[in-house]
Amino acid sequence: MADAIVTMEARRLDERTSVVDISGEVTSSCEPALMAAYEAAGGPRAQRLILNFSGLEYMNSGGIGMLVTLLVRAKRQHQQLAAYGLSQHYRQIFELTRLDEVIAIFDDEPAALAGAGRP
Amino acid sequence: MTAVQPEPRRLLASFTVASREGVERLALRRVSRALPPELLSGEQQERLQTAVAEATMNAIEHGNRGVARVPVQIQVFHSPGEVVVSISDQGGAPAEVKGPEPDLELKLIGEQPPRGWGLFLIRHMVDQMDVTTDGARHTVWLTMRTGAGA
Repeated sequence: MADAIVTMEARRLDERTSVVDISGEVTSSCEPALMAAYEAAGGPRAQRLILNFSGLEYMNSGGIGMLVTLLVRAKRQHQQLAAYGLSQHYRQIFELTRLDEVIAIFDDEPAALAGAGRP
Repeated sequence: MTAVQPEPRRLLASFTVASREGVERLALRRVSRALPPELLSGEQQERLQTAVAEATMNAIEHGNRGVARVPVQIQVFHSPGEVVVSISDQGGAPAEVKGPEPDLELKLIGEQPPRGWGLFLIRHMVDQMDVTTDGARHTVWLTMRTGAGA
């Protein structure tokens, strides 16, 4: 029961932009999977990283902490982070924690791609 | 003339889970199943589930210190106007370790650890959170208002 069921797959759209498709349960135990996906997405070379939460089933405070760890790493590399596919509930959590101020939130992938260049 | 007695609090479910990482997902599903669907809106259900999961994780990690054989007891009550979920561990009164509110800016510059969002989430997800201690039994009470009071 300890290991959350999650898959995180990176898609490199071009040299600058990658998407990480996240499905399942996002908790602190997913950190190795997220960091592996970050590297597969180009690591520090990707300028724009888009997180696809369409398959998200559950995220807890440990998962939020893990996103903060990713943000610290991205900030150090001057990378932009965006996200799409969040349910209303998790959008509310992003607003409460103010993650939405540092991760640009979009409805879908085309919108994220169009808007990923925005600060 | 007969005095109208208030409706008593009704127990909808009572169960225990072992203090193992990950069982909070079982707990939130069992709480959800115990609640008649008409009591809470979909949004309230999701907020309560998040709060139950976080409080259960706290009970496991901080109350029972991850000792699997020490159970966490969860009870679900309904009384007119509210749903209450209690989550009890055996950790007694917690030491006064109330830290600062989590602050994303401070976390991003390394002045707060990345984690530490649990209690913050619980407080913002439910209408009321109370904590009681009776000997070793430490209980967090999560209240969601129903109907017109919601």
